[in-house]
Amino acid sequence: MKLLAYFRIWLACARYSVVRTMMFRFDFIMWALVEFCWMAVNLLLIAVIYRHTQDIAGWTKYEMLLLVGTSMLVQRFIMGFFWSNLFEMGRNIRTGHFDFFLAQPGSPLFMVSTRKLDLDGIANAFLAMGVVAYAVDKLGLTPSFPDLALYALMVLCGVLINYGALLMIVSLTFWLGASQGIEGSYFTMMEFSRLPRETFRGAANVIFVWILPAVIVSNVPARALLHGFDPMNALWLVATTVLWLGLGVAVFNRGLRRYASASS
Amino acid sequence: MSVLAKYRHAFLLGIQSNIVYRWNFAIRAVFSLFHLAFVFILWGAAYKGQTQIGGFDLDQTLTYFVLLLVMQFFIGAFNEDYQISEEIRNGLINQFLLKPINYYAYRFSIFVAARAVSGLLALLPIIIALPLLKDHLVLPHDGWRLALGIPAMFMAAMIQFTIAYCFGLLSFWFLEIQSFIILSLAVETVLGGQMFPLDLMPSWFFHLSQWLPYYYQMYFPTAIFTGRVDQVSALSGLVLQAFWVVALLGIARLLWNRGLRRHTAVGG
Repeated sequence: MKLLAYFRIWLACARYSVVRTMMFRFDFIMWALVEFCWMAVNLLLIAVIYRHTQDIAGWTKYEMLLLVGTSMLVQRFIMGFFWSNLFEMGRNIRTGHFDFFLAQPGSPLFMVSTRKLDLDGIANAFLAMGVVAYAVDKLGLTPSFPDLALYALMVLCGVLINYGALLMIVSLTFWLGASQGIEGSYFTMMEFSRLPRETFRGAANVIFVWILPAVIVSNVPARALLHGFDPMNALWLVATTVLWLGLGVAVFNRGLRRYASASS
Repeated sequence: MSVLAKYRHAFLLGIQSNIVYRWNFAIRAVFSLFHLAFVFILWGAAYKGQTQIGGFDLDQTLTYFVLLLVMQFFIGAFNEDYQISEEIRNGLINQFLLKPINYYAYRFSIFVAARAVSGLLALLPIIIALPLLKDHLVLPHDGWRLALGIPAMFMAAMIQFTIAYCFGLLSFWFLEIQSFIILSLAVETVLGGQMFPLDLMPSWFFHLSQWLPYYYQMYFPTAIFTGRVDQVSALSGLVLQAFWVVALLGIARLLWNRGLRRHTAVGG
């Protein structure tokens, strides 16, 4: 019953976001275009490098496209569902507007995370799916329905990992106060999700593959489509999801206890 | 007060107000080092099994990206467009309309001050990373590269700033300019050579890009210093770059005059 209540709240927020988007149509088109252009920039990088080389760490052009498409898919979902909410949370903690969320009848984390949807991000998620589908077609892969379902689940894990990481980063605002730009560290980290795992050696391997959840979110789902299900990889992904989601929520809750509002 | 003294004061104020943001610049510089790590990993893997891409070896390509990064902090426009937009929207610009101050020159003085601060701060992480970088840095030693590269850098800064200034002035017409700015940033990132050296593009595209102002923002001075451009093309490039400086100044002037006609001086 409680779950149903939350779902109703989410639906109301979603409806509000759609109405809002319809009011500012030009804004919607511009932002969709912005995200589209940035996706195109990243695809162009792949196209240009593969004009001059056959493979990157054993990944051919279309395999790389599949990887980058998967990374985009995860990131578009984050942008569509959570980015604005978490970005504004950082600002609201600084200004004291965060009080508004605490006064609402429901889990503050839920209220903070789901207030807005960015339809442009969600629209571009379909484009990212198009990139993945194009790469799958070019590679001559014929994934079965269970393969696709598994891929979707792994992408969902990737989204949850990113959500946890982003939540943790933004929750640091509870301690840091003025911390403009820490959200940027998320984009810096995500850049590495567009690289094959095999390119990381030495310290970079330890940092970006094992410590930070940058490489895993795109590499594990893409590999599952390319080479089939690997239980060890799947287990690694699930464990990372639990860890980062837990970490994000824990830091948020600790921060919440520190929150003392801002003087008005 | 002499003309120069006015803007010297603006410059000094700019230095002070930007030192306040030293941590922001420092954090940004550290993030840039991560971007550099991305570049090193990606291109390092692309070079496996071959010594040259587009006629340049791995170290030459990496040097290009390191220098590009330094350039960004010394001559790139950061948030000048937003600042100008804010001043227009909340009426702070009105005070300049009543005083014998040229708004462009005032803003440019502050831009120069900001880049002096951010440029020097960005050198810190580079110096710290130098033990890792130094084996990969290969710069040609021709004297003419310095002689032509420095004016190219100066004009590149003017192009950067003037484009940002024009975007800021769009606030006379639009309430929200952020999407325009990020959209243009995507175009600049590609056509300014920040994603990959432009000479790796198909040759028709490379030649086309040389006619656009973006080529002269980051790529051109960096290419002169890192040996990706010969003397003849550097000289002809300087001429085209000068043309773009003048053209953009003209556009900025036009936008300013037109914009002021629409301006209703809210707040103030």
